[in-house]
Amino acid sequence: MSDLYFATDLFSQLDRLQQQMSAVFGGFPSSIRSGRLSAFPQINIGTTDDSIEIVAFAPGIDASQLDVSIDKGLLTIAGERKRVAPEADESTRQYAQERFTGSFRRVIELPQQADPDKVEARYTNGCLSISVGKRESSKPRAITIQ
Amino acid sequence: MSDTTEVVQKEQQPVARGEREPAEQRATLTPPVDVIENAHGVTLWADLPGVSKEKLEVRVHDGNLHIEAEASVPTRAGLRLQHAEIRAPHFSRSFTLGAEFDTSKIEANLQDGVLKLVIPRREEARPRRIEVNVG
Repeated sequence: MSDLYFATDLFSQLDRLQQQMSAVFGGFPSSIRSGRLSAFPQINIGTTDDSIEIVAFAPGIDASQLDVSIDKGLLTIAGERKRVAPEADESTRQYAQERFTGSFRRVIELPQQADPDKVEARYTNGCLSISVGKRESSKPRAITIQ
Repeated sequence: MSDTTEVVQKEQQPVARGEREPAEQRATLTPPVDVIENAHGVTLWADLPGVSKEKLEVRVHDGNLHIEAEASVPTRAGLRLQHAEIRAPHFSRSFTLGAEFDTSKIEANLQDGVLKLVIPRREEARPRRIEVNVG
C-alpha cells in the first residue's frame, strides 16, 4: 500500500476503506446513537468473560463533573471540558486550538447480558474506565455431558 | 497479554506491515494541542490521555521540542477488544523553537492526561517599550 497515507496498520487501512466506501455509497446504516468517528471522548470497548470494559479517553476533566449513567440498557457518559487557554486579547495570541472544548455526551448500547447493578467507574490520568458486570446466567460455562 | 495496556494496544498484524518497512516505524497518534503566546512566552497544552508521568518524555534538541508519550490503561486479564477508536498507545509530536526561547527554563506539568508546557522567552527577547526622548 502507498506510504502517502502513513498507513502502518491494518486498522487505519480499514478506516480509510470505510471512509471511501461511505463517500461513494453514502454510508452503511450504523447505530443512530453513534456519532462520527472523531467524537469526544474517544472510546474503546472490550469484553472479558464476566464484564464489559469501556475506556473513554477524556483528559483534563474534573472527575466530579463527569456524569456516567445507565438507563434502559444505554450507558451515557456526559460532561463538559472547559477552555484552558485565556481568551485572546491584545497581549495574547492564539496559534492553535485543536483540543476539544465544550459539553459532550456519548452513549453506548450495552448488550442484553449487562448488569446495571454491577458498574464501577474510575478516572485516572485522563482516562475514564467503566466496568459493567455481566449477569450470572450469561457467563460461559462448560456443559457436563451425561 | 495479561498486561496493563490491552485496551489501547493491539498487536500489529504481520499482514498489515510492508515487508521492507523498518521495525521502528510504528503507529503513533498526534495529540491535539492548544498554543498561545503572550509577552512572557509560549504556553502549550497537549491531550495525552492514559499517560503517566513516567511514560512521558519532553526533549529539546537542536531547537526542536519533542513530546513522546505512551499510554497505559489498567485492564483486566483476558480482555477481547471489540470496538476501538484509539488504536495506538503511542503519542508523538514535535515543534521547532526559535532562538528567542529559553529552553533551559521550560516548565512541564502533567495533570489528568493533559500536558502543559510553559516556554519562556529569553529576557532580552521580551517585548519592551522604548521611550522616545524629545531632544
